[in-house]
Formats: sequence, structure tokens, C-alpha cells
Amino acid sequence: MKTLLKIEKLKVKANEKEILKGINLQMKEGEVLALLGPNGSGKSVMAQTILGNPKYKVTSGKIFFEGKEITKFPPEKRAKLGLSLAWQSPPAIKGVKLSQLLGKISRQQIEIKEAKDLLEREVNLDFSGGEKKISELIQILSLSPKLVIFDEIDSGLDIKRLETVSKIIKKELIAKSVSVLFITHWGQILKFLKLDLTNVMLDGKIICKSPDYKKVLMVIKKYGYEKCKRCPLLAGRP
Amino acid sequence: MDMRNVKGVHFWQVDHKIKNIAVVPGNIILSSSQAWQKFQWVRKYFEREPREGYFIWIKKEVDFPLATCINIASPKISQDLTNLLVIEKGIKVKANVVCSAIKNNLCGRHFAQGKLLLKSGSSLEYNHLHQWGQKDFVSPDYEFILEKGAKLLYTYKNLLPPENLKLKTTIQSNENSSSNLSFIINGLNSKIGIEDTLLLLGQNSQGIVRLRLVGRKNSQIKAISKIFAKAPGKGHLDCQGLLINKTAKISLTPELICQNKEARITHEASIGKISEEELNYLRMRGLTEKEAIDLIVSGFLKI
Repeated sequence: MKTLLKIEKLKVKANEKEILKGINLQMKEGEVLALLGPNGSGKSVMAQTILGNPKYKVTSGKIFFEGKEITKFPPEKRAKLGLSLAWQSPPAIKGVKLSQLLGKISRQQIEIKEAKDLLEREVNLDFSGGEKKISELIQILSLSPKLVIFDEIDSGLDIKRLETVSKIIKKELIAKSVSVLFITHWGQILKFLKLDLTNVMLDGKIICKSPDYKKVLMVIKKYGYEKCKRCPLLAGRP
Repeated sequence: MDMRNVKGVHFWQVDHKIKNIAVVPGNIILSSSQAWQKFQWVRKYFEREPREGYFIWIKKEVDFPLATCINIASPKISQDLTNLLVIEKGIKVKANVVCSAIKNNLCGRHFAQGKLLLKSGSSLEYNHLHQWGQKDFVSPDYEFILEKGAKLLYTYKNLLPPENLKLKTTIQSNENSSSNLSFIINGLNSKIGIEDTLLLLGQNSQGIVRLRLVGRKNSQIKAISKIFAKAPGKGHLDCQGLLINKTAKISLTPELICQNKEARITHEASIGKISEEELNYLRMRGLTEKEAIDLIVSGFLKI
């Protein structure tokens, strides 16, 4: 399997504060990864930086996609290459219907039963937490991406919807060898998926990599994130 | 709408020449100067004998929108229009009104004075679309008179502004009448002055005025939006500006004047820039910065 995404010693600042303190991460084609970590550990900043949000300044390190360095690429160029991110809290775009946005961004026609009622509403405006996740999902699928980062796709979804969303992700992305990175605080979605690797981020660094998410979750439950550094697994610590 | 799309237009003028006046059975459409000659009563609505413009008198309801189209097609034309629209009691009308220059560089002048009389219980949906060239000077001054129980839904839309636009609008709202006004203006290389006044003159008169103003490159927009309550009515101003270029300037002045202790008039006003978060969100979906700005602006201008 060829390497799709490669992050080398990435350091990132936001408002003069260092958030990411030397991230190394690789994702191969078709790989499914998880990234766990407490609030404020830098998970979302990493996702936004991979997609090129200019709010976050890369102070050192590099990002490669399909062998090409993209560290300085604007977001739209990264999206065109096949990178995409489902936002944790997507902003509302007033006056723009979801169907209108899909008409502008879509590379393929996608129909999701759950999204039908959202199409004629303004993007994310007064959407419930669950509706926002469905809206993100249909946009991502319509982009026909090569790599998707889901930032807290499992927050705000009830168990039934979570199962539905997992099924769609498996059918439309994982089964089609799209690489997927799940950023999750509680790890609810992980039980519906088969993961290749689980990473733990703490204070801007990935401190643990393990093929067994259950063990990682168990340790987190037992010791808490703050004690992750003393994790007895020491699995694949970078 | 321009000269290529005038099918179904009931009054069509190009430069100073009337190209077409349609017959609408039961109703009267004339040039303003013909109306001045034919009907003595219209004279009180014109300040002087009109040179050009239209007179539309709706006496019988029609099930299609009335349409007028005034174009500037030749260089350095100066139009001086006086328009009068009268809607008889209890009649519902929809009107689509277009004023435009058919080229970008004609250096035209378009002065328009309009009076619109909505008699008791009548209702008017008035869609006013302007499209001008970069060197035009445009000055419309419209007055709506709403008699008892009349209803007005007015939308002024100008996405291609002239170099200089002075837009004045006055609403006289009498007993139980209501108005809903929207001004949607996209400023680009233009100086724009907007002055709208809603006069609440009768018991239970009510109105809402919405302004959506976009300041693009080299645009200066100054808007004064007023509600003057002389009677126990209700009114609200909702003024919003969006600055998307550092060479643009928007000034918004909402003004509430209350002369009746039973009246309730309110306002909200804001000017802001495009949200970086929204912009980055759309760029991550593959839109360029320009495409993302255009989409956000198009959404902002939708009311």
C-alpha cells in the first residue's frame, strides 16, 4: 500500500501559542486510523492544519500528500487533491441552501436518505448536532475524496444514528479504499469499525500508537488521559 | 431584463422613446404626459407636467405580474421620468420593474420620480431591479402612499450599481396598512446614498425595513433609514452591512422618531466583515477564495 499522507515533525502555532509540538503521522491508502485525546490536546488543530486553515501557522515540519509536499498549499488546492475534513462544529452559511452548496462542490451525485430534509435548508443554520454531522457527511461524500478526517463525527449523534453513519462511512469510503482518520474524544464510533491503528494525542504530541483501540480506551478509562504517559502498554510509542 | 428580454413587458422605454405600451383590458397604461392631458385628477400627484415616464392605473385585477422596463441604450442620455401607479380599492397586484443600462460605459443619467398610490385594502408586491453601467448617475425618488388596510411588499435590488446612486424612498402608512421593504445593494466602484423613511401615520400601521449592503472595491455607501411614528403603529429597522474590501466604506444610520406614546419602533444595525471561519470552511470544500466570498455574499443578500 502506498503512503498517502505523511506528516513530519510538524510544529504549529495559533495566536503565538505553540499547539502542535512535533507531530509525526503516516497514513497509507485504504488505512483506517483513530486519534484519541482530551479536549485541547491539539487534535482539531492538526486536522485543520492538514487541510490548510491559514489560522494555524506551520513553524516547522512538513506535510506530504501522495509524495508531494503540500505544507504551503491553500485549502482549496488540498481539497482538489483529495483531502477532506468533516468539521466538528461547522459554521452556518446564511442564505445558502445545502443543495446549492452541493451543486457547487460536488464531483459525484450522492443521495443519503437522512440528508433529504436538509437539502432545502440553509447550510448548518439551526441544524441540530446530528443534522450537522449528516450535512458534513453528504458534503464529504460528494467530494469523492481520497482521504477523510472526521473530527468528532460521533459527538451529538444518538446510538441509532451513529450506527447509520458508520454504515454509510464503511460502504461509501472504507469499502472503496478511501483512507479515514477518526478524531474522537470518547471513541463511541470505534466499536462499529475495524481500525488499523489508534493514536493518542496529548499536549500537542502523539504519545501512543496501538493496533488495539479497546486496550487504549481501557487504559484511558482507568488512568485518565493525564496519566497516559504512564500507560503500561507502551505500545509503539514513537 | 434588457432589450433582449422584453416579451410580456407592459411599458417599455429605451432612452427617451417609448417602444411599447401593452393593452391590459380593464386597466390603463399611458405615458405620464398623456395621462397629464387626459385625466385632470392625476395632476395633484405630479409636481409639474411630466416629460417622460409611465402612468399605470389598475382598476381590474390581473392574474399576471405587470412589467415595466426602462433602458438606457445610447451614450450620455439623461432620462427624467415621472411615474405614477394607482391601484384601486381591494385589488392585488404584482409588478416587476426594471431600470437598466444595456452597456457598461454609456455615461447615462437616470432621474425618476415615482408616486405609488395603494388605495384602501389593495395590495402591491413590487420588485424593483436596477442594473447600471460603471459611469452612470442614477437618482430614483419614490413615494408610496398606503391608504387604509393597504399592503406593500417592496424589494429593491441593485447588484450592478452605477458610479453614483441616490436612492430616496418614502412610505406613508395610514390606518391598518402594512409595508415590508427590502433594499439589497452590492456596492462596487460606486458612491451610494440611501435615504428611506417610513411614516407611521395611522392607527395600527406597521412596517419593517431591511437593508442588506455589501461594500466591495472602491465603494462608499451611506444609508439613513428612518421610522417616524406619529400614530400608534409598529415599525422595525434591520440594517446590515458587509465589508469585503479594505477600500470600501459603509455608514449606517438608523433613526427612530416617536411622537406617539403608544407606538413601538425598534432597530438593529450591524456592519461586519466576512467570517474567516465560513471562508475557510468553503475553501476546504474546494471553492477558491473568490468563489467562497461570492457564495457568502449571495447568501447575505438573500432576504
